[in-house]
Amino acid sequence: MARRKRILRYFGYALLAGTAAFLAFALYLDLRVTGEFEGRRFSLPARIYARPIELHAGSRLRQPEVEEELRSLGYSVGERDEPGWFLSQKNELEFVTRPFVFWDGPQRATRVRVAFDSGVVKTVTSSDGKDLPLFRLEPLLIGGIYPAGHEDRVLVRLQEVPRHLVMELVATEDRNFFTHAGFDPRALARAAFRSLTGHTEGGSTITQQLVKNFFLTPERTLKRKFTELVMAVLLEMHYGKEEILETYLNEIYLGQDRDRAIHGVGLAAQFYFGKEVRHLSVAESALLVALVKGPAVYDPRRHGARALDRRNFVLHQAKELGYLSLEQYSLARSQPLGVVAKPATGTTPYPAFVQLVHRQLRSDYDEKDLRSEGLRIFPALDPRVQNAAERALATRLAQFDREKRFGPPGIEGAIVVADPQSGEIEALVSGRDARYRGFNRAVDAARPVGSLLKPVVYLTALQDPARYTLVTPIDDAPFVWKSRGAPDWAPQNYDLKFHGMVPLRTALAQSYNVATARLGTDVGVEKVLDNVRRLGVDRPMKPFAATLLGAVEMSPLEVAQLYQTLASGGFRTPLRAIREVTTQEGRPLARYALRVEQVIAPESAYLITAAMQGVVREGTGQALNSVLPPEVAVAGKTGTTDEQRDAWFAGFTGDRLAIVWVGYDDNRAARLSGAASALPVWGDLMAALPAEPLALAKPDNIETVLIDPQSGLRADLSCPGALELPFASGSAPSQRAPCASELGVTVQEVKQKAKSWLDRLFGR
Amino acid sequence: MKRFFLLTIFLAGCAAPPQGPSETAPPPVPEAPPAPKENVAIAGLMESARSDAAAGRLVQAAASLERALRIEPRNPRLWHELARVRLRQGDGAQAANLAARSNSFAGSDAQLRAANQGIIEQARTAR
Repeated sequence: MARRKRILRYFGYALLAGTAAFLAFALYLDLRVTGEFEGRRFSLPARIYARPIELHAGSRLRQPEVEEELRSLGYSVGERDEPGWFLSQKNELEFVTRPFVFWDGPQRATRVRVAFDSGVVKTVTSSDGKDLPLFRLEPLLIGGIYPAGHEDRVLVRLQEVPRHLVMELVATEDRNFFTHAGFDPRALARAAFRSLTGHTEGGSTITQQLVKNFFLTPERTLKRKFTELVMAVLLEMHYGKEEILETYLNEIYLGQDRDRAIHGVGLAAQFYFGKEVRHLSVAESALLVALVKGPAVYDPRRHGARALDRRNFVLHQAKELGYLSLEQYSLARSQPLGVVAKPATGTTPYPAFVQLVHRQLRSDYDEKDLRSEGLRIFPALDPRVQNAAERALATRLAQFDREKRFGPPGIEGAIVVADPQSGEIEALVSGRDARYRGFNRAVDAARPVGSLLKPVVYLTALQDPARYTLVTPIDDAPFVWKSRGAPDWAPQNYDLKFHGMVPLRTALAQSYNVATARLGTDVGVEKVLDNVRRLGVDRPMKPFAATLLGAVEMSPLEVAQLYQTLASGGFRTPLRAIREVTTQEGRPLARYALRVEQVIAPESAYLITAAMQGVVREGTGQALNSVLPPEVAVAGKTGTTDEQRDAWFAGFTGDRLAIVWVGYDDNRAARLSGAASALPVWGDLMAALPAEPLALAKPDNIETVLIDPQSGLRADLSCPGALELPFASGSAPSQRAPCASELGVTVQEVKQKAKSWLDRLFGR
Repeated sequence: MKRFFLLTIFLAGCAAPPQGPSETAPPPVPEAPPAPKENVAIAGLMESARSDAAAGRLVQAAASLERALRIEPRNPRLWHELARVRLRQGDGAQAANLAARSNSFAGSDAQLRAANQGIIEQARTAR
């Protein structure tokens, strides 16, 4: 009796100790699993979109360009019930857009018909035949701002995941998910039974799979399984089904891209289909669900047949449980896998641009908010321009490598493209491998600018029209600059010759160093540097004469700011990467407004632009005339630094400004001049896009005068090769050139005579 | 500050019934003449900018005008309208610069030039 009592007591102690041990164990597991879950719980990164395409009668857009944009947006070809498709006919495009919330309000799904005519949009009409004056396509998603370590994850909210994806997942992986408590005894029993008959089946719930994913270990013991089960139950006690499902969808391992694991349906949708998860069809979602069982075994790119079988099994399961109608099922089943051939290599195809956007945002927003609040960012990036710039750079650099044979690492380059009037950055290329998220040469590589600074020297001179005009003779004879505290400085020309007296515009067009140095020191180095600052470059510069010839380092982005001011007639507009920022719901948060400041008088800006057009018409930029029609009248400047370490071309048309830098990262002599390397890249880029001719609005106090290029004096039509040049009122030469007729007939007079003669002839 | 408030009200009055005493307001900026035949897209944006401005939704008005400027950056009327919006927002410096920008594209449009000059002078007195 006493013995039995004692045994019972011991048993009681043991039970108590066991329970305590189990509770401690459970508590420990609870801490671990909730800690892990909290760490991965949802945070929505900021999303970055490209500029939307604006369609209106007269848009300079070709049909294939709009089609390509629709394809990139994941629109399918052929009419469907849901928005997001297009039909292409000869000179006509019809499509139904998906709804999208823009900064200035939502736009509903709209059926639109666009007619094209020789490279221009002719009409834009709605389905009822009414004219749409202006219609915006939804913009492409080009990237996000992610927490460290999650750089390649496209986090999605449960609401964005199509319902059919969720149902297919539940039907295939865990049909009692919405009712069980973390584990599913029936599924376990079924799995156990099936394993006896030689089949293997998981039997793990979605919650268990999630837990397994948290503590990835190859260990597959009973103890491990038990631990996972307890953790799954604990997880279910703390969090709702939806939270668990959302985390699962963002965690699940769905593929491998070389050394990068593809986790989550967001990235997988991009990796396999090149689209956002919310746009996945029934069949496409089923393939992602199929991959849950084994991304390597069912890899659709390598084992297409196997993947198709598994996908159809998923569809079948979903149909059996009533989640898909028979119609949906048979339609989906008949579809091919639809996997895109080339997977994108990162979360953004434009890492350099996204980095710039991120930096601009960081000055206004908390880093944490950027990574978790789901802000929507609307920059001005134009994929058309960006792709043209990337292609131009990559193609030419490969060619230079072949010709020069310097061996690896190859020559590098960077490009900035902006709209000169709005100051918006349309494209940014940071190197030959534009997909590589690395050193951002366009923003961070400060390199000597060489002759790119010369236009500022000439601008400074032209601001004093009493002393300098485009035809003022400048001396290009040997020149030595002496100053206390600095060694004597005797610049050389590129061709190692001196050219004597040359007209000011020729000295710039031919980029003569000696004439420029003399001119710059005559007008004053400080005055020139003051203008550099006015034009928008804020960095310390040494007040030495050598600075005039570009012994100052700038990034391509800084050069772009300098040239933006020149390109917009002396109105500086701070370059912007971002237009607008909204909350996740679309409520506007911030606008980066267009700001202009007149920093250079319009007359001076007009004169220097005319001189820079001379660079392309007859100077060091002449080669552009073989790729661009002369009526585009490009204004530009080549730049080459000592031993040809850096090659530049900066220039603008009527609607686009681009800066190109080419050189080696390690500062090797590239043995390529600006004209031989940066210029062809610039030309290829501009030739690939429609170009608006550069025709500056002529300020009131500018007159154009016909000039004899030989003497630099007033010419008339009897002078061969006479040029119309602009002058600040009253500054044009008054003397007539020897070739001009004694009568002194000016062009205006001749024009006037011809006009009145015509008028008489036609009796007007 | 009060003066600026009145100015804002007055400018709003250009498009909407006056809402306050106007006898202390500065001389009016002459209304720009109706635009010549335009791109319908631009006309539509200009129209919504005007109605937004009339209703005091200045941020939206500016956004529409900037959108229009992306399509027609050389349209002096758009620059002028944006200058008006900035003036009403109290940003005299921007208003004056934008009016100057408008002038640089205005060519021989004397009426528009006069309107721009009006903005530049108002911006100066407001400062």
